[in-house]
Amino acid sequence: MRKVRLIVAAAMMAALGYSGLAGSQEGPILIGASIPITGNVSNFGQHSRWGAELAVSEANAKGGVLGRKIEIDFQDNRCNPAEAVKSVTQMLAEKKYVAIFDGLCSSAALAIMPLVERAGVPFVVANASATSIAERSGVGGNKWTFKVNPTDLSMLDALVSWLDKEGKAGNIAFLGEDSDFGRAGSTGLETALKKRNLKLASVDFFQKGNADFTPVFTKIKARKPALLALYAVDADFQNAIRQWYSLGGGVPLTGRVLVDQVPKEIMDSGFLDGTTSVQPYDPSVDTPGNKAFVETFRKLHNIAPILVSFESYEAMKVLIDAIRRAGKADPATIRDALAATKMPSILGTTIEFDDHNLAHNNAIILTIKSGKVMVLGMSKT
Amino acid sequence: MDPGIFLQLLLNGIVIGVIYALVAMGLSLIFGVLELVNFAHGEFYMLAAMLAYFLTMRLSLGYAATVAVVTILAVCLGYVFYEALLVHIHGGGFERSILLTLGLSMVLQNGAVFLFTTTPRMIETPLSYANIVAGSVRVSVTRVLALALGLVAFAALYLILYRTRIGRAMRGVAQNREAALMVGIDPRAVSRLAVAIGIGLSGLAGAALAPVYAVHPLMGFSFVFKAFAIIILGGLGNIAGAAIMAVALGIVESVVGGFLPLVMVDALVFSSMIGMLLLRPEGLFGRGVRV
Repeated sequence: MRKVRLIVAAAMMAALGYSGLAGSQEGPILIGASIPITGNVSNFGQHSRWGAELAVSEANAKGGVLGRKIEIDFQDNRCNPAEAVKSVTQMLAEKKYVAIFDGLCSSAALAIMPLVERAGVPFVVANASATSIAERSGVGGNKWTFKVNPTDLSMLDALVSWLDKEGKAGNIAFLGEDSDFGRAGSTGLETALKKRNLKLASVDFFQKGNADFTPVFTKIKARKPALLALYAVDADFQNAIRQWYSLGGGVPLTGRVLVDQVPKEIMDSGFLDGTTSVQPYDPSVDTPGNKAFVETFRKLHNIAPILVSFESYEAMKVLIDAIRRAGKADPATIRDALAATKMPSILGTTIEFDDHNLAHNNAIILTIKSGKVMVLGMSKT
Repeated sequence: MDPGIFLQLLLNGIVIGVIYALVAMGLSLIFGVLELVNFAHGEFYMLAAMLAYFLTMRLSLGYAATVAVVTILAVCLGYVFYEALLVHIHGGGFERSILLTLGLSMVLQNGAVFLFTTTPRMIETPLSYANIVAGSVRVSVTRVLALALGLVAFAALYLILYRTRIGRAMRGVAQNREAALMVGIDPRAVSRLAVAIGIGLSGLAGAALAPVYAVHPLMGFSFVFKAFAIIILGGLGNIAGAAIMAVALGIVESVVGGFLPLVMVDALVFSSMIGMLLLRPEGLFGRGVRV
């Protein structure tokens, strides 16, 4: 009798377990995100999270997708490829995520790509800008990776084209962080200049987390370049821009200058007038979609969105749209739906993927004039 | 070479060196007296900078008052740090101290990320964007202030260690703990004070540098590793050695960084440290609490 009871109990447990599993099929749709929650670029990870969460909360407020809520599970990759592999391998092993999101850093995204290909799960890159991600995706490459933001090469080509028209593309010095981001910037700028028979005047890199830029700025100023292309983000950018100011500048900045993060006093002083920058986003872009996004983001977090918040917001919307069109929460079907994406961007363009699963949103060329950031123009990447 | 550029590099180097010295002297003092390496030292520096940010930017406290409040609180924190944690491991093994302070470092760093987020913050004071210009040489007023605070801290530490009974007691404990006990010195009280002064110095460094560098939870990490290299080069526990090496390293870094790729500067620092450990493990100026 005792044995029978045990068998019945075991059977009931198994049935419950099965029904629980089945229930999870009807529960929330899970997306796995690998971003730097700690480490040197965790501020960007935070913005990526805020952007993605906003897109998800908007979708959930409308009843979710396929009658189910969406949830994102954020795992830390510290912007380190090894940590990215670890976090994504664990998520893929659980087989409950319909897609993997972001990576954020180029080296992390590149490390994730072979994993999603083996597992057959779509990977939506929101922020990593290395050109090699797109080169290795789509036709003849990784069919599971989709890159929503523009590549460095395409953005810098747009910038150099504008600088060349203005006769300012000769004698550019480059200073960037020693990472895939900075290296892609230097390579992208060199390629864009080479197309016009020009070359970089000098190239310098700094370690991420470097606090003091005064020696390298003194060196660059002594070379007297016409422009300085700066590839620094986060605290590095804040330190660099202040120290550039205290050393008196004297060379207009260009490249990926984070014009929306310049301290107000420096901006108002007119010190950075003549700076040009290319970005995939600027909060001042005057479209109804962007205005609504900036307003909601400000209400939630008390600060304006930065390009990372925007890119994650828009890339998550692309993924949610693909899940909706797929009609079922199945990775392969979502991959096919992603490939067929045709969705309006809040910047006023249409997001579509090319043969290399790369979307071609606008690059925004910005300048600073009389202490104010102005959009010089948008250029299709 | 334009002498203006060399002067600028030299001046940058002296300022950076004194900034390094502020962090390294406290670390060196704690090692000198307790013979343990405080891996959480950078996190105390970061917490002090965070506190300085909140006092000036949120509570609108004046900068001079902020420096005083942060330094006093850091001294108090040093007392608590010693009595709550270090006293239990002192004499109980060098390895335990490494694990404990490393663990504390992670808790403080991630706690700060959780509480304050990783957004870099800048202290804005009326002097934040003021510069002193002499010909082609420029330096920000906030750096000059940090330089002055560093020199004052060094002078104060010199006076404490060399001109007071407690300073003599500290040097006595550092030389021979048992002998110091035999002549009536309380090693626990001396150690507690050494930790309090050491953490107080990191607090002063945090408050002094908060208007110079972006304030964020990860700011302590890079500085403290540079400080480790400095105290090894100067002689573990040798405060004057740490201060001299900090300024020398600042100048070398600046001048080398002005000619060679910047990424080679750290390689130079840590190669020197490895070389010193192999050739002269006691450092250039020898071990022990000396000024």
